[in-house]
Amino acid sequence: MSLGRRAFLQFVGGAIGGTLLTPIPWKLADDSAIWTQNWSWRPSPERGEITETTGTCLLCPGGCGIQARLVNGHRAIYVKGNPDHAVSRGGLCPVGAAGLQYLYAPYRITQPLKQTGKRGDPQGFQPIAWNEALKIVADKLAAVRKKGLPHTVACITGQDRSSVTDLWKQFFAAYGSPNLYTMPRHSDSTRLAVALATGYDADLGFHLEKATYVLNFGAPLLEGWAAPVRIQQIFSRWQTEQPGLPKTELVHVESRCSLTASKADRWIACKPGTEAALALGIAHVLIREKLYDAAFVSEKVFGFEDWTDAAGALRKGFKALVLAKYSPKDVAAVTGVDAQVIQELARELARQKNAVVLWGQSSDTPNNLYHDLAFLALNALIGALSDKAMVSLVPSQPWQALPEPAMDLEAFKGLGQKPLGQPTSVPKTKVRPNTLHAFLNALANGEEYPIELLFVHEANPAYGLSENTLAVQALQKAGMVVSFASYLDETAAYADLILPNHNAFERLDDVIGLPGAPFAFYAVATPILKPHYDTKSTGDVVLGLAKTLGGTVAQSLPWKNYEEVLKLRAAKIAEGATGLLVDATFDPASVEPGVSLRANFKKAADVWKKLTAGSCWVEAPQALDACTTPSGRFELACQGLLASVSTNAGDELFMAHYKPLPPSGNAGELPLLLTTYRSLSLAPGYVPNAPFMNKLLPDDLLLKQDVFVEVHPETARKLGLRHKAKAVLKTPLGEAPVRVRVAPTVPADVVALPEGLGHTAYDEYVQGKGVNANSLVEVHLDPVTGLGTVWATRAQLRLA
Amino acid sequence: MVIDLDKCTGCGACAVACQQENNVSFRPDESDKLRTIAWMTLYRLDNGKDYPEHREAMLPRPCMQCDSPHHSPCTFVCPVNATVRDEHTGIVDHIAVRCIGCRYCMVACPYHARSFNWWDPKWPKTMEAMLSPEVSPRMRGVVEKCTFCHHRLNRARDRARINGEDPDGVVYTPACAEACPTGAITFGNLRDPHSDVARLAKDPRAFRILEKLHTEPKVYYLSSDQWIHKQSDNDLS
Amino acid sequence: MGEVKNSTSKKGLGIVFFLAGFVGALILGWVVFPNLLYSSKTQPVTFLHSSHEDSSCEDCHYFRDDGSYSGVPGVAKCAECHEEPMTESEDERILVEEYIQQEREIPWLVYAWQPDNVYFSHAAHTEEQGIECVRCHRDVSAEEKMPVYKENRITGYSKNTMKMVECEKCHAEKGASNSCHICHK
Repeated sequence: MSLGRRAFLQFVGGAIGGTLLTPIPWKLADDSAIWTQNWSWRPSPERGEITETTGTCLLCPGGCGIQARLVNGHRAIYVKGNPDHAVSRGGLCPVGAAGLQYLYAPYRITQPLKQTGKRGDPQGFQPIAWNEALKIVADKLAAVRKKGLPHTVACITGQDRSSVTDLWKQFFAAYGSPNLYTMPRHSDSTRLAVALATGYDADLGFHLEKATYVLNFGAPLLEGWAAPVRIQQIFSRWQTEQPGLPKTELVHVESRCSLTASKADRWIACKPGTEAALALGIAHVLIREKLYDAAFVSEKVFGFEDWTDAAGALRKGFKALVLAKYSPKDVAAVTGVDAQVIQELARELARQKNAVVLWGQSSDTPNNLYHDLAFLALNALIGALSDKAMVSLVPSQPWQALPEPAMDLEAFKGLGQKPLGQPTSVPKTKVRPNTLHAFLNALANGEEYPIELLFVHEANPAYGLSENTLAVQALQKAGMVVSFASYLDETAAYADLILPNHNAFERLDDVIGLPGAPFAFYAVATPILKPHYDTKSTGDVVLGLAKTLGGTVAQSLPWKNYEEVLKLRAAKIAEGATGLLVDATFDPASVEPGVSLRANFKKAADVWKKLTAGSCWVEAPQALDACTTPSGRFELACQGLLASVSTNAGDELFMAHYKPLPPSGNAGELPLLLTTYRSLSLAPGYVPNAPFMNKLLPDDLLLKQDVFVEVHPETARKLGLRHKAKAVLKTPLGEAPVRVRVAPTVPADVVALPEGLGHTAYDEYVQGKGVNANSLVEVHLDPVTGLGTVWATRAQLRLA
Repeated sequence: MVIDLDKCTGCGACAVACQQENNVSFRPDESDKLRTIAWMTLYRLDNGKDYPEHREAMLPRPCMQCDSPHHSPCTFVCPVNATVRDEHTGIVDHIAVRCIGCRYCMVACPYHARSFNWWDPKWPKTMEAMLSPEVSPRMRGVVEKCTFCHHRLNRARDRARINGEDPDGVVYTPACAEACPTGAITFGNLRDPHSDVARLAKDPRAFRILEKLHTEPKVYYLSSDQWIHKQSDNDLS
Repeated sequence: MGEVKNSTSKKGLGIVFFLAGFVGALILGWVVFPNLLYSSKTQPVTFLHSSHEDSSCEDCHYFRDDGSYSGVPGVAKCAECHEEPMTESEDERILVEEYIQQEREIPWLVYAWQPDNVYFSHAAHTEEQGIECVRCHRDVSAEEKMPVYKENRITGYSKNTMKMVECEKCHAEKGASNSCHICHK
């Protein structure tokens, strides 16, 4: 018998028949289908018990309360707003919602690093042990002080509302250096304006909860102004009809059709940067038609009428100057807003019981001092600073938390030095002018004296400073750069030593004061989970360095650790026995200036417990009854400026007037004006856009690597640019490739560029997308305050 | 769900919270809007007028969870029953593991509410730690969409069960509504006439997108701007 | 005739070949294949429920406040009693030294493991609702040693992982919803 073909076929037939009666085909089909559902390279999230922890978001100064969901106590999977929080009431902004992408970012710095190659060499960073790294810094600090040059140590911090900044202040006072700076903010200039007008060192608080009419000159309310979530919630309340209460009207003045402009009840489109002129035009109508708060002006205001200066010279007052120079017709010519509309606005503003004037710019940068004074003056005229307190002065430090620093001779000598680069014209007030641009300018150009050691803390000036190339040049000139960055950002790249801080969600920290809020505020940020890298809280590092230095520096910073400093704050609150520890039931409308809140706490331990559980401490701001100006009144004509302007200066130089600093460049070659804008979907601050946020950007804002600039259809036609065309944007600072979004969101001859793109550091999800607006805008140093202001830059746009 | 466009400031917190909650994957470049994965998307609308009469608004768009049994476009075309409208809750379920990736539903959906996984979802190694076990990560080759966070409904039902409450009477909040800083998103049971959503859906400001297609979306929008109402119909007549 | 006979015997032989293939395939499919398909794995630590009779089931397997089920307890639970070894057993030594002292979770192989896309609600399947634990899990009360864990080489699932068809059948019988989102996530 031979096995023929036939037999084989029969065998196979049987085998097939048999197989069909076994699980093989069905099981294999099923299992391979299941296999495709569970590809092994797809991550499978660890399961377990889900718990919640409470904290405070430190990603911006907004002070939102957060809750994080953790798996098995060690893996954060979700961040949401804390519904019991006094300010954010459960709300969150996209940056906070994407917060875990910073915590788990691949660009986190996981351990101390030392630059072993040339400064700026990304390959040169080598791990170094904490004790070695700290020794290098301590030795340098000791050596510089021994040479008698303590003033050549400087620090730039981006966290201006934390106790760490107070530790830096204490450290710099005791060590002996005047060169401590924060990243520039609009409050740098408003605080100077407030100090000149009232004598107080205070932030402005706006009672938006009580307002029935808000006249807003350019502040990007819905694009991330002040404490963003608080503003969003107030805006939401304005949109809701509340029985028995008049609806709040929002009138927005801006050149670009931003979301705030679109969402406002009325949008007044003006030419870029002319908002202050419009404010003075409105003041003109108020004065001419006697619509201003005459009682407040006559009792509490100095410089409205003509006045005599210290030298006995008769000077014109605010009334005379405004009446002479800012008639609606003149202002209409400057701003492009109809004279009729200006009159109408003034009358409408005067009719309101609870009106408030807000102002600001798209970027949170210092403003022209005289323009800040103009908006402040308009608030004074409508009585917003009177007992109604629509605008109140909130002390930037509610209490003297740290004891006076112990200073030796060396410290006195060092601290007495002129801050590097600071112009002599800077007005002497209680407020220390934050002249960072002047400092960097002098450092970059090797003027006055060198900087031996530069600390950079929670700041990224090499990206985030307007005219950021200045920061890069300055970083290269500093003797030694020590960064405390949590992320390998543009600035950390130029460090010699990186002593990484815990990430914003991992550290114990605090929030002192809420920008724009009409009450004093304090909150403690507790970590939502344990730090998972070899990082150290910068507060602890500063205390450790002080201890190593010994002497008066160690005496001035005697605390064991940063937690002890924060507990001292809680103790101060308990000791002061005023203010309230509040949750979501807190109604800011109930706070009145000068009327201290009756404390609902006693023991320091209690205060600490509540603060760490997410309660916030609030207190009423001071009342404006006694200004500490030379006249004892609110000064429209600021006598504090006498020392800053020449003795034969025009009367105008003491008070608010419209004076834009002329942009450089030739209008023939650069015929357009570049303005920048921000959006809540773009993080312009210390942290870059998270990958989640990139999904929010429309494809006519960012397409692949190209950012779009907004151009009016008429301008586009004139320049021969079509929608989505590739173009080159040129300013006096340089040029960059862009694309064109043709949209009537901007007036003719204006180009608008978004802020927050164009990073060169971090990872592939962040870098190389678009253009950094800071690298193209021009900084004008305010001739009085020396602060770096930004308003508009001449530009050219041409087909690429 | 009711979304008040008068309150919405287009910040995008809803969309980010949604991505975090639902393990939505992301890529270095997200500017190809036909290939990007987004359950909640923000659309920019404008009134078409010239400066300075120009106005813009943002419109957040989750899945509309169409209610019409015969016009719920996606469920109608799915060849494998991977997407089915649940009678009880009204949620249009989509089960990624059942999906064969034919993308008929994407073609059928008039709201572009569905996304396709063109690539293997890949997270930077360190970011795998933030993935939620409550929602399974999808794989290459399947469609995904907004689920109204139905895993939160399941959790709420379980909580009710162990507390001896009625699991069918639970209320829950999806991630987008929870995150919204202006409270523009209201979520609830449309069938309950006493719920906030049912009341708001009858508001004179209320409208639905492409209502004339009779897809019966369960997402209502509120706006006092007529030009926004007008665009919701996309010139269908 | 001879020819016919010859063809019949050929036919008979053909059936033999056919049967050989048929039976061979059956043996392969029912006996060999299941053994090939699953790999056998042993648990990292031997755990016997029968040695823990001094504790009640709920000490380790309980509902959390959020309605979720604790399932297999973590090593922190073990540490409550086994901070130090209580016996001479080798397994306990491993438990204490390699897991509890190093705060490492034990990589248990879970017999009833469901994949990521399945949402199983223990709260909806309790004894009060008439569903005994042993309806889905093995009876562990008198177990003398841990069963071998069989892992499907293709899918990576446990052999005991319940399939969707079983869920659906029971749901249909009991009139429970069979909506996708009831069981999937």
